[in-house]
Amino acid sequence: MGLWLSRMLSWFGDQEARILVLGLDNAGKTTILYRLQVGEIVATIPTIGFNVETVSYKNIKFQVWDLGGQTSIRPYWRCYYPNTQAIIYVVDSTDHERIGTSREEFHAILDEDELKDSLILVYANKQDLPGALSDAQIAEGLGLYSIKNRTWAIFKTSAVKGEGLTEGLDWLSNALKTKR
Amino acid sequence: MSDGKYFSTTKKGEIHELKEELRSLDRIRKKESVKKVIAAMTVGKDVSMLFPDVVNCMQTEDLELKKLVYLYLINYAKTQPDLAIMAVNTFVKDSQDPNPLIRALAVRTMGCIRVDKITEYLCDPLGRCLKDDDPYVRKTAAVCVAKLYDINPELVEDRGFLEMLRDMLADANPMVVANALACLQELQELSGRDMLHLTSQTLYKLLPSLNECTEWGQVFILDALAAYPCQTTKEAENIAERVMPRLQHVNSAVVLSAIKVQYVALRNINLIIQKRPSILANEVKVFFCKYNDPIYVKLEKLEIMIKLASEKNIDQVLLEFKEYAQEVDVDFVRKAVRAIGRCAVILERAAEKCINVLLELIQTKVNYVVQEAIIVIKDIFRRYPNQYESIIATLCENLESLDEPEAKASMIWIIGEYAERIDNADELLESFLETFPEETSIVQLQLLTATVKLFLKRPNELAQRVISLVLSCATTETDNPDLRDRAYIYWRLLSTDPEAAKDVVLCEKPVITDDSSNLDPLLLHKLLGQISTLASVYHKLCGYTFEEDSQPQGPGLEHSPSGHAISPSDGGVSAAAPTASTTAAASPAMMGDLLDMSDGIPPAGTAPPGKQAGDVDDLLGGLDIASGAPAAPASAPPPLPILMQDPSRGVTIGGQLERHAGGLAYHISIVNSGAVPLSGFMIQTNKNSFGIAPANQVLDLGVVPPGGSSHTHCPLTYDAAKLVPGPANAELQVAIKTDQVGVLFIKDVVRLEGLLEESGAIDGASFLAAWKALPAEKQQRLTGLLVQDLEWAKAKLHTANLFVLAHRPVPSTPQQALYLTGRVAGPGGAQIMLELRLVPGQPGIDASFKSEKADLAQMAFAAVQAVLSVQEICDVGVTV
Repeated sequence: MGLWLSRMLSWFGDQEARILVLGLDNAGKTTILYRLQVGEIVATIPTIGFNVETVSYKNIKFQVWDLGGQTSIRPYWRCYYPNTQAIIYVVDSTDHERIGTSREEFHAILDEDELKDSLILVYANKQDLPGALSDAQIAEGLGLYSIKNRTWAIFKTSAVKGEGLTEGLDWLSNALKTKR
Repeated sequence: MSDGKYFSTTKKGEIHELKEELRSLDRIRKKESVKKVIAAMTVGKDVSMLFPDVVNCMQTEDLELKKLVYLYLINYAKTQPDLAIMAVNTFVKDSQDPNPLIRALAVRTMGCIRVDKITEYLCDPLGRCLKDDDPYVRKTAAVCVAKLYDINPELVEDRGFLEMLRDMLADANPMVVANALACLQELQELSGRDMLHLTSQTLYKLLPSLNECTEWGQVFILDALAAYPCQTTKEAENIAERVMPRLQHVNSAVVLSAIKVQYVALRNINLIIQKRPSILANEVKVFFCKYNDPIYVKLEKLEIMIKLASEKNIDQVLLEFKEYAQEVDVDFVRKAVRAIGRCAVILERAAEKCINVLLELIQTKVNYVVQEAIIVIKDIFRRYPNQYESIIATLCENLESLDEPEAKASMIWIIGEYAERIDNADELLESFLETFPEETSIVQLQLLTATVKLFLKRPNELAQRVISLVLSCATTETDNPDLRDRAYIYWRLLSTDPEAAKDVVLCEKPVITDDSSNLDPLLLHKLLGQISTLASVYHKLCGYTFEEDSQPQGPGLEHSPSGHAISPSDGGVSAAAPTASTTAAASPAMMGDLLDMSDGIPPAGTAPPGKQAGDVDDLLGGLDIASGAPAAPASAPPPLPILMQDPSRGVTIGGQLERHAGGLAYHISIVNSGAVPLSGFMIQTNKNSFGIAPANQVLDLGVVPPGGSSHTHCPLTYDAAKLVPGPANAELQVAIKTDQVGVLFIKDVVRLEGLLEESGAIDGASFLAAWKALPAEKQQRLTGLLVQDLEWAKAKLHTANLFVLAHRPVPSTPQQALYLTGRVAGPGGAQIMLELRLVPGQPGIDASFKSEKADLAQMAFAAVQAVLSVQEICDVGVTV
């Protein structure tokens, strides 16, 4: 009875989605996750492993997986690919040197068979800092414009100030609903 | 499509299903699947390929699920060391969880995951948990430090976890204190270094927790206290006061230990009376056995009673022994009968009384008593030939009841020895012959000799028949070479020259004495020095009892752990004091005597209370080890200072310079803890201040099997080419090569004791001349040296080739001055001269040094320190 009831509720209640937050180390993934979840800035340390939190937004329950971005951890991202509806790819807009590395990782993700149906949301993060590249420059740097057959969007964000994050989620929830 | 598709996960199996379920967003389904995984794991199915999926379930509010995942992690992290890194962040988060149970769970699981790659990441959370508000978390973290140390000791030290653990000894919560202590003790064991750094401050914090701890916690604290060398009497008193109530604890372990302490005391008393029998001569009653004493206590008491037996108290003692000989415990009865025999052997005038008691015992007709009595009577006959033959008849009556080889052999010996006085000796011997081939070799040998004696004494027809029978039996029908050879010898003797045979077989035998339980005097002396330690209980020197704990340390090494394993001899014998109150086995007055003696304090009415600390120390140390660790076999190589320990190559090398066979030698030992046999040992020295070089580069260590050890004296010579000119430097660099692990480099220090020559004495006049001619001497006060007996000191110095030329009191001071000399051999050597000023019985020696090589002073002082630091109990006790 309990099981049946909870199934029923989930039909009527929130839609669920599994989201991966990826990106190079120090891009701000964990800060974004907790900004979305608790609406606050939490002090973070480099994520050796992962964080997973549930974020409810606009009747969608996002199960958000924030994976560590360090080189040593990137090979294990693939363990998280199955059943992923969307990727939030976070870029440190002030990290001019590594935009190339970020692009390589990004395209490796796009090529993944298991992720071929997932939506792509790019956050050009750290817009509050001086010297941050614009969203257009990041889109150019990542080679977003060359992507075919994928639904994607890019948003200027500042996790510290909380700007641009909800806009991105708005886009994401709409895109998910359309897809369904 | 490529052929890779054949390997992709198209097959639907159980694992695949589980994988799907684990990825499910539904919490209940997920938990069910983790349970399935754990179930599969438990029955031994390999579910390691699910690692990433299970780890992904780790971050959950559900405590049950979390525990399951942790369980999985502990099991499989090792097989998936790379992926294990994905769990780190969760541990970090969990170690900050508001729920202390989760924090503790996280830190405990972290400790169980032995994956090098992630240990470093776990240090931060561990450090946090060590300072957690919750005692349970702190305690768990403390235990985790020990686990971490096992994986990566450097990390523990770099992160300052050891200091944190030590700080935890002052924790408000006794559970935390006990665990931190237990952890430190374990680290101490792992590393072989002193980790506790107990100070009086930490001590005061430990003591109060003693009352609040669980019993196991108490054990750890008591262990630590036992190892703590007390600095002051006050401190010792304090410890004793706190520990005393533990002894009254209703705990079987404590009751057991009380008995053990009694045994310890008895073993020590045994030692003391070997040295000074007169002390306790009037106290023999104290050692009478109680019926409920454990057997080992009884046997020890017997030993002591035998030693204390004198003409004055022999009646009493014999009565007591007779009593024991009628008890039910067979072993004890035997020992009692033997004791009577030994008393007879020791005390000539009491022999008759002893014999009478033995005869009375034989009358009881209890089989084993009779047999034992016959054995001891044989000894008495050996000791007092031709005095008590009148009893032979009684003995012969019991011939049939003898079934033990030793008793039989004894009886046969008696018959053979007194063949001429026993009318039917030949018949008696013949009766034994029927079973000759079945007898044990000791009986056969005895029978052979007895028949030869019989034949020589009464060469009649029967004797002749008997002997030919025995000889043919012994030469043709036996496999025992001893018996056969002896038979042939007798045969030849008898057939060639019966007179010579008489001289051989019937010669005067040396008188026997009872020294079966006496120790070598030198050993005894040393043991008395170590009285109250375990060494004196095992009656083995501490070096043999606890090899690894008692390495004598070279001057360059800073801390010796021996002070912890075996407590200082000071105040030792009073170990019996707390026992006396609980067992009432020993009289307090006697204990007082002992106490005075061991302390070298003039007689005092009662024991100074402060001294009890030593007891408690010993007692605990004693208990602890007596209950568990067996003594190292005495055949182990002598303990040498460890020079090098290389666990990765599995080699431990110990060694020191020694005098050996009148020359300098490097006494070197090697322990192989590796997996392959070691062989092909070679040795070489670097240039040094004394020109020391090996006489032969090949080390005679043979092949050392894994787990085995070997030691040898490598003779050294002096080689001018090896000499480094300039001021003397004690450093000696040695390289040892083996075929298997390559070259091992060792840094040792030259001990001057090894370099001093046997022929280094000079006469008094040259000494005086040289002393006057040389510039001002080097002086140093050697603290910590306590010489009780000057003669002893002289003898010790002499054996170290430091020759005492003169000994005179220093005018208008209580001091005595010793003038000694020695010659340091080799091209870097010289004649050295020393003046030692000391007051016997007071600590400290003022040493002065003169030599053409003044820079040898420090080494000479170190040598004196080493030679005289083995302090032993001397003549003070007798003045009581």
